Formats: sequence, structure tokens, C-alpha cells
Amino acid sequence: MENRINEATPKEILLEVRNLKKYFPIHKGIFGTKKTNVQAVDDISFYIYKGETLGLVGESGCGKSTAGRTIIRLYEPTAGEIIFDGAEISSMSENDLKPFRKRMQMIFQDPYASLNSRMTVGDIIGEPIDIHNLAEGEERQKMIYDLLERVGLSKDHASRYPHEFSGGQRQRIGIARSLAVEPDFIICDEPISALDVSIQAQVVNMLEDLQEEFGLTYLFIAHDLSMVKHISDRIGVMYLGKLVELSTSKGLYEKPLHPYTQALLSAIPIPDPEVTHARQRIVLEGDVPSPINPPSGCRFRTRCQYAFDRCTVEEPVFQDMGEGHMVACHLMDKGKV
Amino acid sequence: MTDQFKITPDLWEPIVIEDREKDKIVRKSLTYWQDAWRRLKKNYLSMLGLGVIILLAFAAIAGPMLSPYSYSDQDLNMSNMPPRLELHRLEDGTFVHVHKEYRLYEVSESGELLGRIQHTKEDMINKTREFEFNGNEIVIDYKLAAINKDVPNAPKFTLTINGQPNDTADKTVWNKTYFFGTDTLGRDIFVRSLYGARISLLIALVATLVQFFIGVIYGGVSGYIGGRVDNFMMRVVDIIDTIPLMLYVILLMVVLGAGLLTIIIALGSVYWVRMARLVRGQVLSIKENEFILAARTLGASPWRIMVRHLIPNSMGAIIVSLAMMVPSAIFTESFLSFIGLGVSAPQASWGTLASDAMGGLRTYAYQLFVPSFFISMTVLSFNFLGDGLRDALDPRLRK
Amino acid sequence: MTEKILEVKNMKTSFYTHVGEVQAVRGVSFHLDKGEALGIVGESGSGKSVTSMSVMRLLQYPGTIKEGEVLFNGEDLVKKSKAEMMSVRGNQIAMIFQDPMTSLNPVYTIGNQIMEAVIRHQKVSKAEARERAIDMLKLVGIPSPETRVDNYPHEFSGGMRQRAMIAIALSCQPDLLIADEPTTALDVTIQAQILELLKDLKTKVNTSIILITHDLGVVADVCSRIIVMYGGLIMEEGRSEDIFYEPLHPYTMGLLKSIPRLDLGHKQRLVPIPGSPPDLIKPPKGCPFAARCPYAMKVCLDHQPDYYERKPGHKAACWLYHQDAPTVEFDTGVRRMKE
Repeated sequence: MENRINEATPKEILLEVRNLKKYFPIHKGIFGTKKTNVQAVDDISFYIYKGETLGLVGESGCGKSTAGRTIIRLYEPTAGEIIFDGAEISSMSENDLKPFRKRMQMIFQDPYASLNSRMTVGDIIGEPIDIHNLAEGEERQKMIYDLLERVGLSKDHASRYPHEFSGGQRQRIGIARSLAVEPDFIICDEPISALDVSIQAQVVNMLEDLQEEFGLTYLFIAHDLSMVKHISDRIGVMYLGKLVELSTSKGLYEKPLHPYTQALLSAIPIPDPEVTHARQRIVLEGDVPSPINPPSGCRFRTRCQYAFDRCTVEEPVFQDMGEGHMVACHLMDKGKV
Repeated sequence: MTDQFKITPDLWEPIVIEDREKDKIVRKSLTYWQDAWRRLKKNYLSMLGLGVIILLAFAAIAGPMLSPYSYSDQDLNMSNMPPRLELHRLEDGTFVHVHKEYRLYEVSESGELLGRIQHTKEDMINKTREFEFNGNEIVIDYKLAAINKDVPNAPKFTLTINGQPNDTADKTVWNKTYFFGTDTLGRDIFVRSLYGARISLLIALVATLVQFFIGVIYGGVSGYIGGRVDNFMMRVVDIIDTIPLMLYVILLMVVLGAGLLTIIIALGSVYWVRMARLVRGQVLSIKENEFILAARTLGASPWRIMVRHLIPNSMGAIIVSLAMMVPSAIFTESFLSFIGLGVSAPQASWGTLASDAMGGLRTYAYQLFVPSFFISMTVLSFNFLGDGLRDALDPRLRK
Repeated sequence: MTEKILEVKNMKTSFYTHVGEVQAVRGVSFHLDKGEALGIVGESGSGKSVTSMSVMRLLQYPGTIKEGEVLFNGEDLVKKSKAEMMSVRGNQIAMIFQDPMTSLNPVYTIGNQIMEAVIRHQKVSKAEARERAIDMLKLVGIPSPETRVDNYPHEFSGGMRQRAMIAIALSCQPDLLIADEPTTALDVTIQAQILELLKDLKTKVNTSIILITHDLGVVADVCSRIIVMYGGLIMEEGRSEDIFYEPLHPYTMGLLKSIPRLDLGHKQRLVPIPGSPPDLIKPPKGCPFAARCPYAMKVCLDHQPDYYERKPGHKAACWLYHQDAPTVEFDTGVRRMKE
């Protein structure tokens, strides 16, 4: 997959995340004293270039959604830094953060829960315009109509209510809402998982078109690796709160280094009977451990067929194996199996 | 699957894009409220309750203006008149009614009280009274009253008109002068009931408003902020909840004096608590929904989120709660007035009407029945309405 | 020799709601051979779930089977009474559902729930039923079945719960297992486990399976025959290789073009199918896909097409295959691996 970024211009980093942690305390005991933590996101670091799409994949409980929400400050980070276009936003007050809210936006997963069912579509899309005082009166209406048409809906949809629309249309309304502030960066949190197959392509194509038209940068969070590979320039794989591998889409598929990535790729169903039956399936045993009490050392070791003694004791470092292909696995030091 | 039809060559032509219906919305749109109303309409009891409430509201506002009496007009001559009058016919076509206290009244055939007829002679020893009216001589002998004191439905007096005994009533009509009769002081119970309705509905309104504003905002803020603040605010609520209402009202009355205002302050300062808890619960459950998260990422202020997102989405539960708490407020006020802690004489509340009636309960049962009926009917109506609202506003039951 | 275990003939199911009649299934006919895995593929609103619920006679008010026959081992299930159906369900036909969280009763142990089915249908003692339960848990690959049989659902993870569901379903050795989106709610690696299990069971126990899903990858893995549904009707039916490599119906082709392929290296532009599925309160008069079909003709709008059979077992409902229809160059959406 070609880089959309012109090779001549230096690659500018729009978002950098350093050692980000998000723990959720669990209160036990009579007086609700904190007993332990759910280590939802545990020390992840990555960066996203301007204009590119970084995919973030993993299964449930891996922390990818939490990471997305922490980056956009819906959750307060427990530790670490979030640097957006040079500004460190991880501990800014809501007041200081407000201008950044115009530059980073989010699209959500559930088309039925992400729109306020008591507001008309026009009001939903108009809300960000009102919050940031971007336009008034006639101009505001025009903006709303423009946005509706840009996402493939029509002007007369503005007076309708969300429940009158299908899932795909609602997602488009959500996209229109986030575009109203003209953001630079959009976090897409599983935006198509709840949609029908034939509608998913519509939404993904639209996201791609919008990216080209407005020079948007995406963080695309999903569990469907096929779709993520299609839309992303680079992909990060998360497992139990940790980043285990990060590489270009092509690189990740052709040369997966981490055992979990390998298993993940082999588990994804391919709509082609011959290919599917010819495939070497790596079937992982057991279930994902709990993020409250993750395994010591490398978290994946309980399900990894290559695990050895070092894996129990020492956490592997997320390091560059060449050309920006990052992996966290002790096997890398031994020479890949 | 095949309908036998002829496929003409033109049918093989491809269709143009305009012929298709892309993104067209087919079904008629129903907003949440329209759908809820539709569901409510189907519930007959609720609609009945709603109808009664509306009727009562009209009567309470307009009724006293149309009545010739005010709630405090007394006419001791007309005290304790029942709503149903037993009439005895006289030869000249006029009718008389014998009062339970052995007074005699002239009544028109349709039931209008035309006036009291004073007795000309009273014999306490023989227990008779004599009247002269339009040339008729009427004697009421109430010796039987003492004999038949504890026998229900036995005659307590004998009536003799011009020498002829006339014990059974010729006609029983509704009292057209005082629809619900009068009380011990001769005040029209009907008008007083309507004034009582005013008071009850006023209580209902105030309780509703206070609950809504204070309770909703308090609960909303508590739920939205969460954490320790929420904990603290809810403990305050718990403490207020433990104060016994009666004690509190008495204390207030000592401080502020008795009256409607005191009751309003008392109820208002206690009732919002339940609403606060409810709204807090609603907010907690909605808070993590994605449209709230979306509002936050857009940069909406907490106030905006509360007012435009959280509260409108809790309206269903809020309205149901309001409808269900109103009967409680009305009943509490009635009770307080009944035991003397509420509005003071001569103001009429259903509670005071009831308590006034206690003195003559055995003889004048209607005086208690009327306010009781009003209280029951109003409370039931709000309950039915609230029940129906709860079903109608529940989004999960939406088909 | 293949015998038909299930034959559905022209089944129509509708929901009579307050806004009107929603015609969820509008005339569906198919069969299932013994020991076969049939996939029913469709999106939401296609009628695939309602079809399976109708076969099991599990429809709730206001849904009813308007018309048609469901012949299971020769007997018409539509005509059976409630009591008769109760002895069929769980016993001869079993079903597993999508959400393992809500399809198990949280207040009973897994063992109990398996035993309940066994005791009810096969009248064995409690001890025997418990033995059977442990066997079933072993069969579906749950470790330490002797202890886990007394666990409650909340003590199982999502994947294990789905396995437990399968155990319950298979406990009475049904002839037919209907799996309605059994892996949609599961993680990909767990999904792979469950699909392996289903394939394994098919060979071991020779159960016939109907697998309902929207995921073409899943049916490619498990099923030998596939039915594609849209708008309450069957658009295409054929063997797995036919559907994926020689699709006939424009909807099938549209689906194949719109899904991203993990294995294909070159950059693919997804070709979505424009528009949305039809509202089944006012179902389209003609072919339900006409409004979104790039090859639609006038006849498609007004008349439902017949089934055209390219070869035995592979057919599609499309006017394009009528003898008088104009020839069309298809972009079939088939992309095969370069050797």
C-alpha cells in the first residue's frame, strides 16, 4: 500500500503518545478503598504522521478503545504523555483543551447510541457549530446542509430524528458531526463494526475520500484486521494493554514477527474456500487473561507456543527491528524461530 | 413464483438511477413523544384518570367563580343540610323537608330550598314541635328518637300534617341549593370542595415544580460529577430523607405559623429528595452512552450536557415520577389539614372538610363522604395516569 | 446416498405490527442433506434469522408463519402442535444463538442446563445425565470438565460459554444443529476455535448444520453449500466453490466486491453496494435487490424473477439469465490468488 504522503515533504508527526497508561481502580472493602487496578492500557508509545492512517487492532480487553478515548481525554491518563502537534495535552484543563477539541474528533462504534435520540439530525450536526461559535443563523444552516450532503445525505434529512435512519446512515451523521469543526485528526473507534457488510464499504470509502479531500489523519481502531489492513498505512497490534507489534500494513501481513500477530492473522476468516482450507491455522488455546491480574513478564506467554523461561520473568521491550517495524518479543533477540 | 405474463422487449431496458430510491425514508416518522402519546391513548384507565384531572382542574378554577357562595359564607339557619332531601307534600302542592334536627323547611318540588319555617311552639317535655305554614298545621313528634336511638333506619320522628300522619316521604330529590349539602356552620360543601380542589392542585403544582427544579438539578449534578462529590451529595439526601415529615412540619409551623405557605415550604423542602435520587440514577446509567461521550469530545460544557442531553433523555422517568408523587403530596396535605396542622379555618381543604365532618359523623355521613371521595378520586386518577405514563414512556416497550 | 433431512417449501413469515405487516420471509425454499453444513448468508433484514426461527417454530407474537411447509425427516413442522414441537426442539433439532452472555441462564450451573435437556428428552436418571453432561463438556473442549460442570455461566469466558451452549445443544444428539451467528460476538481467535470445533463435530458426530451469518469468511471455512438471502428471499444458492468463484447473482457479486481481503496484496478499492436494504413493510414489487443493482432492468422493478439454474445445485433468481435477456459483462468481484 503506497504512502499517501509525498516523499518530498518531511514527514511531520501530528500525534505522539509516550508511555501512556490508563488504569481503572477497582474498589473493594467496606469503605470503598482501592484494592487493585484494571490495567487497561499499560505503557504504550507510538506516533502518527500527518495525513496517514494508523490502525490499532486487538481483541476485546486489549485496551485499544481505552487508548483512543484516553488520547482524546475522555478518560484521564494515569501516566504518560500525549503530544498533539507539539502541545502536551495529557494534563491540560478543560478550558485549555477546548481549542484542541476543534482539532481532534472521534467517531463512535454504536450508531444507535452515538446520536441523541431526542435531537433532530440538524441539531446534532449543529451542536459543535454552536459550542465553538463557528456560525450563526443562515450561515449555520448552510453549514449543516453542506455537511449532510458531503456525507451522502440530503437537506430534508435535517429535520428528522435519528431513529428514522439506518445504521449506516447514522454513522454518516456521526461523521458529519465530527467534521463540523474541521478537525485535523479523527479517532475512529470501531466505526463500522456494527454495520452490515455492504454498508461497511460505503462508510470506509467515504472516510478515505474525506481523508484525501481534507488531509485528515486517522487513528482507526477496530478488531476486523481485514478492514484495518485495507484502510491503514501502518498498524499497531495490542494485547492486554500492551503494544506487541507495529509496522506498515504490508509489512505486518507479509512478515508478522510477534506470535500473537501470526495467530491473529491466521485466525481471520478469508472469503475464499480454497485459500481458507489451504491455510495453516494457528489456533490459540485458552482465553484472554484478565487485565486485572495480567501474567508476569510477557503477557502473551500463557497462550504462546514459543514461550520459554525468560518470558515469565522479564517483560519484552518494544523495539525497532528495522525500517520502523516494532516488536515486543524475546524471540527477536534469539533470532526468529 | 412466475406470474404468467408477457415480457415485452422494452422491459429489458436498464433503469436509470433516478428511478431508484436511494436513502429514502419510507415509514412515517414518530417522535418519542408522539409514540408515547399513541401508547398512552390506548390505556383506558390512564385516559380516564387524565380526563378526571382535567375536569377537576376546570372545576377548581371556574367553579367557585360561578357559585353564589364563597367558602366562608355561613348561614346557621341552613346548617347540616344533606344533599338528598326527603320531601313531604302538603295539600296545596308545596313541599316540606324535615331536618335531622327537627327543623322544617319549605322546598320546591325540584329541590330548591325556599326557606326555613320557624316553629310556633316547642314542647320539650312531650318532645313535639308545631309549625304553621300556609294555613297548614304541622306537628313533629320526636319521642321516638330516644327510643330508637340505637336502631338504624328506624323512624326517629312522626310527622302530622293537619292531623294526618305523613311518615313516609313522598319524594326524594337532590338538593339544588347546596349540591353537596352544608356543614355545621351552614357553609356550602360543594364550593368548599372546589376550594379544596384548588388547594390540592396548588400543592400538586408546587410540589411538582419544586421537585422538578431542585430535584432534577441536584440529582443531575450529583450523577454527572460522580465520585466523592456524588457520594457526599447523596449522603445529604439520605439525611434529609430520615427526617420524619410530621415532626418537620410541626417544627416549621412553630416557627412560621400555620397555613398553606408553611405546608408548601414543608413539602417542597422534603419532596425533591426522591426525584434527586431518581435523576441521579438515570444520569449514572446514561452517562457512559456514546452520544454523551460525543458531546464531551465536541467540547460541550457540563451544563450543556446536562440540560441538552442528560435531562431530556431522562424525561420519561422524571415525568412518571412526578405523576406518581403528586398523589402522595395531595394526600399528605389532606392528612396534615385533617389533624389540624394544615390550612386553618375558614380555609377549605379536603382535609379540613374531613376533620370538620368528624363531629356529626353518625348523623351527617355525607360530610365526610364528599371530601373522602374527592381525595380518593384524585389520588386514583394520578395513579392511573402515572401507571400509563410509565408504560408509554418506556423506550424498551416501543414496538 | 444423500437423504434430505430438512426441506423448506415456499415458507412465508410475517410480523403483524401496529405499523403494518412486515414481510420478513417472502417465499423461501431450500433443503439440507444429512451430514451437510449449509450456510445462510445475508445482512440484517434479509430474513435469515427469521427463517431459522420459523423452522424451529420459535417465533413470538406478532410473528407467524403465513404459508409453506417445513419438512423435517418427512414430517411438516408447521402443522405440529406446541407440545409436539417441544419434543422436537432440543431433541432432534437444536439451536445455538449469537450472544453467549444472555443465552445461558445465570442462576443454574452449566451442568444443570445440560442435564435439563437430557432428562427432559431422554428420560435418564440424574446420575446418567450428569455423566452425559461431563462427556459433552469434554467433547466441546472445555478443560477439567468434571469440575467445570458445576460452574455457573459467569465463571466461564465468552468462548467457553459458546462451547457450553454447543454442549447443551448437542447433548441429545440432535440430527440438526442450527447456529445463528454463533461467532459474531466473539473475538477472532476465539471464533477460530469455535469454527474448528463445529467442523470437528460435524465429522465426529455427523450432525447436519445450518450456519447463519453475515460473514462470508466464516461460511467459506465451514460450509459446503451456501444460500444468499436478501429482502426476505433467496437470491442465490450453490456449492461453496460456485458462490465464491462463479457467482451468478449481482448481489453476491456486490458482496464479494465490497469486502476487504486480507490475503490479496494489491491495493483494493472496495466497491460498496449503494443504498440500503429495503423496508419490508412495503416490500418491493419485483426483485428486492433491483433498487441497488447496477444491472437492473425495467422488468426487475415490477416482477420477481424466476430461478435460473446454471448447473444442478447452483441457481440464482435473476432476470439477467432469462433466455431473452440482454447479455451483460459482469464484474464478478472474484479475485483469486495469483499462483
